[in-house]
Amino acid sequence: MIVSLVLVLVISFGSLITTLSLGWGPKLGLDLAGGLSVVYKPATHATNADMQEVVAVLTNRVNGLGVSGAQVNLQGKNVVVSVPGVTNARQILGQIGQTAQLLFRPVLCQVTEDAKVYSIGKQKLPSSCASQYAMTAANLNVVQAPQTTAGWTSTNLPSDPAFAKVASTAPANDDKNAVVILPQLGQPGVRYLLGPAQMTGQSVSKAVAQQDQVGAWVVNYNLTSSGSPLWDAVAKKNFHQLVAIELDGVVQSAPMIQPTDASPTSFGGSGQISGSFTEASAKNLALAMEFGALPVRLEPLTTETISPTLGHSALVAGLAAGLVGLALVLLYTILYYRALGLVIVLGLSATAALLWAIISALGHTAFAPSFDLAGVTGLIVSIGITVDSYIVYFERLKDEARAGRSIRSSVDRGFRSAWRTVLAADTVSLLAAVLLYLIAVGDVRGFAFFLGLSTIMDVAITWYFTRPLVILLGRRGSQSDSMLSMAAGLTSGGSPNG
Amino acid sequence: MDNETKAPGHFGRLYQGLTTIDFVGRKKTWFTISIIIIVLGMGSLAIRGFNLGIDFKGGSSWEVLAPNTSITTMTHAVEQAGLVQPTVEKLGSGTYEVTADLNALSAGKQLSVTTKVVDAMAKVAHKNGDQVSTSSVGPTWGGQITNRAIEALIVFFIAVVSYISVRFEPKMAGAAFAAMVHDLLVTVGVFSLMGFQITPDTVIAILTILGYSLYDTVVVFDRVRDNTGGVLKAGDMTYSDMVNLSMNQTLARSINTSLVAILPVLSVLIVGAYILGATTLQNYGLALCVGLFSGAYSSIFIASPLLAIMKEREPRFRDLAARVGQRADRAALSPAAAARMSGEGAQRTVGSTRSATATMVKPRARKQKRR
Repeated sequence: MIVSLVLVLVISFGSLITTLSLGWGPKLGLDLAGGLSVVYKPATHATNADMQEVVAVLTNRVNGLGVSGAQVNLQGKNVVVSVPGVTNARQILGQIGQTAQLLFRPVLCQVTEDAKVYSIGKQKLPSSCASQYAMTAANLNVVQAPQTTAGWTSTNLPSDPAFAKVASTAPANDDKNAVVILPQLGQPGVRYLLGPAQMTGQSVSKAVAQQDQVGAWVVNYNLTSSGSPLWDAVAKKNFHQLVAIELDGVVQSAPMIQPTDASPTSFGGSGQISGSFTEASAKNLALAMEFGALPVRLEPLTTETISPTLGHSALVAGLAAGLVGLALVLLYTILYYRALGLVIVLGLSATAALLWAIISALGHTAFAPSFDLAGVTGLIVSIGITVDSYIVYFERLKDEARAGRSIRSSVDRGFRSAWRTVLAADTVSLLAAVLLYLIAVGDVRGFAFFLGLSTIMDVAITWYFTRPLVILLGRRGSQSDSMLSMAAGLTSGGSPNG
Repeated sequence: MDNETKAPGHFGRLYQGLTTIDFVGRKKTWFTISIIIIVLGMGSLAIRGFNLGIDFKGGSSWEVLAPNTSITTMTHAVEQAGLVQPTVEKLGSGTYEVTADLNALSAGKQLSVTTKVVDAMAKVAHKNGDQVSTSSVGPTWGGQITNRAIEALIVFFIAVVSYISVRFEPKMAGAAFAAMVHDLLVTVGVFSLMGFQITPDTVIAILTILGYSLYDTVVVFDRVRDNTGGVLKAGDMTYSDMVNLSMNQTLARSINTSLVAILPVLSVLIVGAYILGATTLQNYGLALCVGLFSGAYSSIFIASPLLAIMKEREPRFRDLAARVGQRADRAALSPAAAARMSGEGAQRTVGSTRSATATMVKPRARKQKRR
C-alpha cells in the first residue's frame, strides 16, 4: 500500500520535475502559438497514392519556405497543413496556397475583361482567336533587338474583343485538356485564351530565383531527363510565341519562347525566364515551378491564420479558466468531504503533475497532436470526470458507514463497488474519446486525445493512489477522533455551514 | 456543531442519502418538462433554424486585439476596405471580430479584399498586419465536419448501446439511449432558441456531452443493478420503488458530480470566454454548459423512470408489483437497511460480473499481480 502510494508520488512529481528541468513544454497548437493552418481537399477523385504524393510535394514546398515545425498530414482525403509559431503567416499562406498542377499552355491570344461577364460553365471555348489577334510568331512580329539591348522584342498585340464578355474559367472547370480563359497573376484585367496543356510541372526538376548581371530578377530552371526533350518539342511548336505557366487557375507568367543563338533548336535541359520580376514574384514563380507538380488539384476548405498575440491571450485565458475551475472544484470538495477532500486534492495534484509531464514529453515526439485550445478544454472537462471517481467512492463509503460497518471494512467494500462503477463509466468516456479521435477532423482530435489520456490517468490513479491512501486513512481514522480523520468526512452529517 | 438536530434538514438528508423524492412516480411531470423544452426547441429550429457560423455557411473572419477603439470605428474601417455588410463584434477584453462572406468573389478578389481588410484593421488597432488573425472557409467545409460528426455519432451510439447491453442489460441500454437522444434534442433546441452560433466546436462539444450524459447514466444504473440483486430479493419493494431508492441513494453523488463537472465549464465560459475573450472557449463552453445540465437532468429524470416503465412490463416485476401492492404495510425500506442489503447484493453481482466480462477485467488484474 505505502509502496504504491510512494511510487505514484515519486513517479508523478519526479517526472514533472524532470520535464521541467529539461525545459520541455507541450507542443503548442496553432491557436495558442499563433501560425497558419490550411485544410485542402482534392478537387477531383484522387487515389490514396495520389494523396501521399500531395503530402510529399506540399511538405517539400513548406520546407522550401524555410519555416520550422511545419506539419503536413492526411486526414482522410483531406490534407492539413499547419505552420505554427510564424509571424508572417499571410505571406507564407500565399506561397503554399498555390497548390494546383503546374501546366504549360500555349497562349492563343490575349482577352480583356468586360465589366459584364457571363459564365459559360463547361461549354467548350472556341480553340482559336480571330486571326489578327492570334499570337503567332508572324503577328507578334518578333525581331532581334539592336545589339545594345539583349534578347528579342515583339509587338504587343491587342486583345480579341470576342471573348471580353466571357468569364474566366472557374477552377472546377479548369481541365488541362480544354481551352480555357485564365487571368494573369498580379496584372488585373489581363487574361489569356489558352490552348490545352502541352507539359506539366512534373518535367521541371529545379527552379531558382536569381539576379542576373544587371541585377534584374530571373528564374532559372532545370528540366528532368524525360522533361528536357518534351520541353524542346513544346518550344519548337511555339517558337517565338508565348507559353503560359499556369498554377491554380492563374497564369503565373507567360514568357516568350526564345532559344539562345548558341542552341536554336534545344534548351539542353535548362532555361531562364526573365521579365519584369520583383524579388518576391521571381521567388514565387520558382517555388511554384519546382514544387507545383501535384497529381491532383487542391481546393482550400478552410484557411486560418492566428496572430501570436491573440494566440498568447487564448493560452492565458485557457489556463486561467482551468485553474479557476480547478480551485472551485477543490474548494467545494474540501467543504463537502473535509478530510476526504484532501485526498482529492492530493490525487488531483498527482494526476495533474503526471499529465503535464506526459504532455510535455509527448510534445517532443511526432506522435501526439499538438496542445491546442481544444486540448485545454478536453483537460478542463476531464477535471469533472476525474473528481467524479472520488465522489462515487466517497458516496459508497458513506453508504457503508450508514449501514453500520466499521470504517475499516467500509473502505474495502466501498472501493470494490465504486471500482466497478468507475471502470464502467470511464470505459464509456474512453469509448467516446477513442471514437472521436478516430473519426473526427481538425481540432477535435486534440480534444479527444487529451480527454482520453486523462481518463486512462483517472483509472490508474484511482487504483494505485486513491485506494491505498483511503485504506491507510481508514486505519488511522478508526483510532482517532481528530477533524482530519475519515469520520469527520463521513458522518458529520449536517451541512458544512452548520 | 450546536444546531445539529435529530431530524436533519434538506441538506442533511441529501448528504446522508435519506431523501425520499418519488422520481418514478412523478415521471409525467419530468417527461412533460422535457417535452415542452424539446417541442419549443424543435419549433424554433423549424422556424428560425440555426445561427450557423462561417464554418458552415462559408465565409471569412478577421480578428484583432484592439483595446482602444469602438465597433463603429472598426465597422467604418472594414467597409472602406471593401466589405459589404460585415458583422463586427467585440469579444471579451478588446478583441474585435469581423465576419463577412466573400465566397461570391473570385479567388483573386477574395485575396485582395482579405489583404485590404487586414491592413485596415491593423491600422485601426495600431498594429502591423501580422497581428490580425484571419480565417476563410469554403462553402463545403462545414458539411464535411457535419458528416464526420454524424458518422461519429452513429458509431458511438452503436458502440455504447452494445457495451451497456453486455455490461448491464439491453433495457438499460435502451433507457440510456433515450436519455442521450433527449440531451441531443434539448441541446440542439436550446441552441436554436437562444440563437447561439453553431461552429464545428459546438458539434464536437455536443458529442462530448452525449458521452458525459451516458457516463452519468451508467453511474446511476450501476446502483440500480446493485439494488436489483439485494433489495428486490427481500420482496417488499416493486421495481419502481427500487429505482426510486437507488435514485435517492445516488442523488448526493449526482448533484456533486454535476456541480464538479459544471464548475470548470462555467469557469471556461466566464473566465475564459467572456473576461479574457477566447472565442473557441466560448463555443465549447456554451454547448458543454447546456449539455451538462441536460445530461445530469436526463440521467435522473428521464433514463431512470424510463427504465422502471420498461422493467415493470416484465412478468416477474409485474407479479412483484402485484404482491407488494396487496400488502397493507407498504412502508418504504429504511435507507440504512437498504444500504446494507444493496451492499450484500453488490458482492454477489461482483462475482457474476467478473465472469461475464472477463476480457475487460482481466488485463487490469494481471497488472495488479505484477506490482
